[in-house]
Amino acid sequence: MPGGADAIDRPANSATSLLETVGVDKSFGGVRAVRDVDFSLAAGEIRALVGENGAGKSTLVKVLTGVYPPDAGEIYFEGEPVTFCRPLDAQHVGISTVYQEVNLVPLLSVARNIFLGREPRGRLGLVDVDEMNDRARAITARFAIDLDVTEELGRLGLGAQQMVALARAVSVESRVVIMDEPTSSLEAREVATLFKVARNLRDEGVGLVFVSHRLDELWQLCDSVTILRDGRNVHSGAMADLDRLTLVSMMLGRDVDEVVEHGATEFGDSHLQGREPVLSVSDVEVRNRLHGVSFDVRPGEVVGLAGLLGSGRSETVKAVYGALHSQSGSVEVAGRRIKPNSVRGALRASVAMLSEDRKAEGIISDLSVRDNIALAVLSRCSRAGFVSESAIDRLVETFVRRLQIKVSSPRQKVRELSGGNQQKVLLARWLCTEPTVLLLDEPTRGIDVGAKSEVQALIDELAEQGLGVVLISSEMEELVEGADRIVVLRDGHVEGELDGATLSSSELLAALAGDIDTADALAQEHADG
Amino acid sequence: MADAGPARVPTLEAIDEKFGPPEQTDQPSGYFRRMVDADWLRRNGVYATLALLIGVNVVITDNFVSSNTLRLQLVQVAPVLIVALGMALVIGTEGIDLSVGATIALAAAIIPLYIGYGAPGAIGLALFAGVVTGSFAGLLVAGVGVQPIVATLGIMVAGRGVANLLGGEIKSIRDPAIVSLGTDSVAGVPYVVVIAGAVSLVVWGVVRHSTYGRQLVAIGGNKRAAELAGLPVKRVLATTYVVSGVLAALAGVLLAARSRASDPTKIGLLMELAAITAVVVGGTPLSGGQVRIVGTIAGALLIQIIGATLIAHDIPDSTAQMVQAVIVVAAVYVQLGVRRANR
Amino acid sequence: MQRTIQYRWRLLAAAGLVSLAAAGCTDSGDDESSPSDASGATGTEGGDDEQVVRTDVTSKGEGCTLEQYGAEPLDLTDAVVGFSQSEPDTAAFRAAETKSIREAAEQVGVKELLVTNANNELPKQISDIQDMLNQGAQFLIVAPVNSDGLDPALAAAKEAGVPVLTIDRKVTNEPCSDYIAFLGSDFYQQGQRAADAMNEATGGEGQVAILLGSSGNNVTDNRNAGFKDQVEERYPGLEIVAEQTANFARDEGQTVTEQLLQSNSEITAIYAHNDEMGLGAVTAVEAAGKAPGDDIKIVSIDGTRNAVQAIVDGQINAVIESNPRFGPLAFETAQKFYDGEAIPEDVIIEDDEYNSENAQENLDKAF
Repeated sequence: MPGGADAIDRPANSATSLLETVGVDKSFGGVRAVRDVDFSLAAGEIRALVGENGAGKSTLVKVLTGVYPPDAGEIYFEGEPVTFCRPLDAQHVGISTVYQEVNLVPLLSVARNIFLGREPRGRLGLVDVDEMNDRARAITARFAIDLDVTEELGRLGLGAQQMVALARAVSVESRVVIMDEPTSSLEAREVATLFKVARNLRDEGVGLVFVSHRLDELWQLCDSVTILRDGRNVHSGAMADLDRLTLVSMMLGRDVDEVVEHGATEFGDSHLQGREPVLSVSDVEVRNRLHGVSFDVRPGEVVGLAGLLGSGRSETVKAVYGALHSQSGSVEVAGRRIKPNSVRGALRASVAMLSEDRKAEGIISDLSVRDNIALAVLSRCSRAGFVSESAIDRLVETFVRRLQIKVSSPRQKVRELSGGNQQKVLLARWLCTEPTVLLLDEPTRGIDVGAKSEVQALIDELAEQGLGVVLISSEMEELVEGADRIVVLRDGHVEGELDGATLSSSELLAALAGDIDTADALAQEHADG
Repeated sequence: MADAGPARVPTLEAIDEKFGPPEQTDQPSGYFRRMVDADWLRRNGVYATLALLIGVNVVITDNFVSSNTLRLQLVQVAPVLIVALGMALVIGTEGIDLSVGATIALAAAIIPLYIGYGAPGAIGLALFAGVVTGSFAGLLVAGVGVQPIVATLGIMVAGRGVANLLGGEIKSIRDPAIVSLGTDSVAGVPYVVVIAGAVSLVVWGVVRHSTYGRQLVAIGGNKRAAELAGLPVKRVLATTYVVSGVLAALAGVLLAARSRASDPTKIGLLMELAAITAVVVGGTPLSGGQVRIVGTIAGALLIQIIGATLIAHDIPDSTAQMVQAVIVVAAVYVQLGVRRANR
Repeated sequence: MQRTIQYRWRLLAAAGLVSLAAAGCTDSGDDESSPSDASGATGTEGGDDEQVVRTDVTSKGEGCTLEQYGAEPLDLTDAVVGFSQSEPDTAAFRAAETKSIREAAEQVGVKELLVTNANNELPKQISDIQDMLNQGAQFLIVAPVNSDGLDPALAAAKEAGVPVLTIDRKVTNEPCSDYIAFLGSDFYQQGQRAADAMNEATGGEGQVAILLGSSGNNVTDNRNAGFKDQVEERYPGLEIVAEQTANFARDEGQTVTEQLLQSNSEITAIYAHNDEMGLGAVTAVEAAGKAPGDDIKIVSIDGTRNAVQAIVDGQINAVIESNPRFGPLAFETAQKFYDGEAIPEDVIIEDDEYNSENAQENLDKAF
């Protein structure tokens, strides 16, 4: 849906490129974050840049804005080769960035922020406030934003602050504006205004790069798209030529017509019939993130949570666990409602959560393996305020052996372990608490193949013992193979559910793309053909 | 067999049956060994330096090898050490307590004021003042979420103001019990030293074996992870500031008893810096997650003996300050080095 | 050469700053003591120790008159007078100084006396003075927190046409323009007299340790220079074996003395820059099992009641007074000013000495 009159012909890599990269490479410590990427942006174009986590989007953005110099490859601006040694170099040629987190000064006025560092000066070198305010009003008026430029920035809504950041980008007469997830914390109304501003800029001949996880927004706003996967450019083309399913399958690297995998789990649904849910989540709302998520988990069942980045998967389990503040909704464990927004309440109700961020929210790297494992049961293993070392030793030995954690001694620092062994330490921490509900957020991310299959086997076994397990994974096979049922989330609500016959990776792919009908059709097709 | 119910902890026999005997691996690699060297310096640098300094003094300082010297250094270090022990706990939580000097002044001001209630009463009230300032800091840090440095800075300023108001002019203390506390000995060991030793032992035990101590270290190491593991983060943080407050008040009592006077404008001035220095030099990282009690004791002794050495050799004040600065910078540098190696 | 030296000094200063920030061992710029001096030429009543002017050091010849200063005549008995105290009244010197001003104001019968305390903070003193001007103060007595930096306050007073008299610390501003005159003690002379008293106490032979006041403080510098110069000139039998700071504080005086005595058993005398450090030394000497005032002679400066009592008790040998009772002299000077007399730039007062012969009878004079 190209908007402006000038938006007729903008083929990728054309000679009219405003900003272009050829064969850009960037590695960090041996990991190639961006490989041989060609990227091109024309004047008056809004180009989407999409990809899953780790696909290389933010690295590419940082190369384009001069934060990282590329290891190899060229950057051209208006056809001329350029070298950005610092972010300032990129700004000088007219490349501005608007981040998800507004990086302006909240205590200064809107006008002050727009002109920060370039304030119009009057006599004596003092800031000419009237002049500055007038010019700020003129700029904001161009975007039909209605705000008082003398207001303190911090008093505005996040959306308005984003708009000010955009206005600043415009006022420095940017030729290229890169918007990195600008909408992720905005209300719908704010998003609409932001898009209006973006289109205005495009119509004035500015080139825009739009990074977002909200797929719908891509078709609303963008003219063209570049898809990255594993650091490579896997597709560049017009937005209108792609449908959701194709886009998602290219992001995830799956073929649309990949063969349907085997169905549910080894032991069918039969054993689950008639059992009361051990976990029952109803209408959980988290502002801007979750809009009424509901699902049940029965004992012995592994329920997968699927969704693209930003769909609210992690937020859902965190809200259930009380680690993310929810505004409404309820969580029941074995029929009893648990105290909302309280981790300790959840733990008391025998719920445990393995966070996806092992480093920031899981291990305590300075502590030993032993202390990390015993963390959640410290008070349980204490008497009269003192820790029973023998009780802890017993627990730790049990789990180190049960989970085959490879350590030189339980007193070894956990930071010295490999990722897989760290993950096992965390699993041990939660198993010590004897949970009835286990929430696992990406339990196999970043661990080696051997450890991965061990963890997967463990999950199966735990379910067999009667635990209710919620499993999040961005790997479709893991979900399809490991889960009895998959709840698909999109934009913070439950989009649909796959089980039994519909539990296959192509169905899941279609569902992730937000197209349950296509999924059904696909299933039908396979059945037919 | 999908029985509903919690995941029971399995028995070792069952595990062995299923997986065979345990194997042990994941030895530190060469990379880690290098890191261990930097780590060794942080852990043991303070002891090595202390030993070296004592050795040098034995050679160059008159009258250094004598029981009087030992007694004097221990008596003088006692108040700093007591404050530093509380500070070590606070720093272990990734916090800092700048209010200790003010708490010392407050406690010292209370002694002559309430000596009418008898020495135990006055001491009790003085320690209670530490509970009050500590609770206040704890409330601000744990409850309201104010940054420790900001919260305790406020109390540092306000607390000394209150001490000045309360205490007024310098007052001499003549109560025999208090004077005896500051002067007399039991079995040749001054009371002040006995108290500091006892406090050290208790704090060491608490850090190592109490539930609170273990929770404290975990919270300092990774607050978010501790929260998610259901630890009572706020309660532990608040308790830590109260402990630091009470220990500072105890130091105030001992300082007043020793000098037989309480001067609210001067007493305990810059004590927070001395305590922080002892803790950091002793190898406790400012980034929290570790509490090194023995190191803190050595750190306090190191600073004490450096001061004594400088006085014994009549080194001018400006040079003395530089020497102390070099030591602090070196200690912080060693810590940074370790952190970089750990990356 | 020149450059190297400068560079070194800068390094030294930088390192000093760092250490101050990091390990913080001194407490700069907070002198507890003060000026003083003797009593009342003009004699007032009361058993108090009234200040006596030693010299009207009329360095600029004629001094400052009402006319030169450009102030309006004023009847002090019908005036609002402001007093800006620099440091908390917890220090005995400050308490005595404030009390003296209050009493003198009452005796003169001013309409109203406004009193503020800057708690040793320069910005607070500036705003204190501005507040008092707003409250209608017509004459100001200021005990400056610092020799520099009071300019905004002095300028405000000048603009309001309110004359300022500074006491106990001299400011670097222009006399007879920014302020009328300075009333205070001669700290250098206090040091010299302490040396005399030390000679007396020791019989001319001794190994002396000096307890210095806070570093970077003019009181410390002058009391030290006066003492050392005098010893060098007159008393070859006195040997200065140690100089260590104890920051004008009693507990530091005690700990530093303990260390000095432990490492240097030769020390026979201690000169403390103020009474508090001297009293700390008394405790330390006792703790070392020696007799203060006898085995170890002690001389200090200030004249606080506790120190003079220690002379009576035989623990301190002599105290050079630094008289804080500026009230009568300040109001007397103000009256002279409004009477049209010329006021010299520096009005230096005469300080007394307490020793074993006069301490008992003069105990009431101590503050």
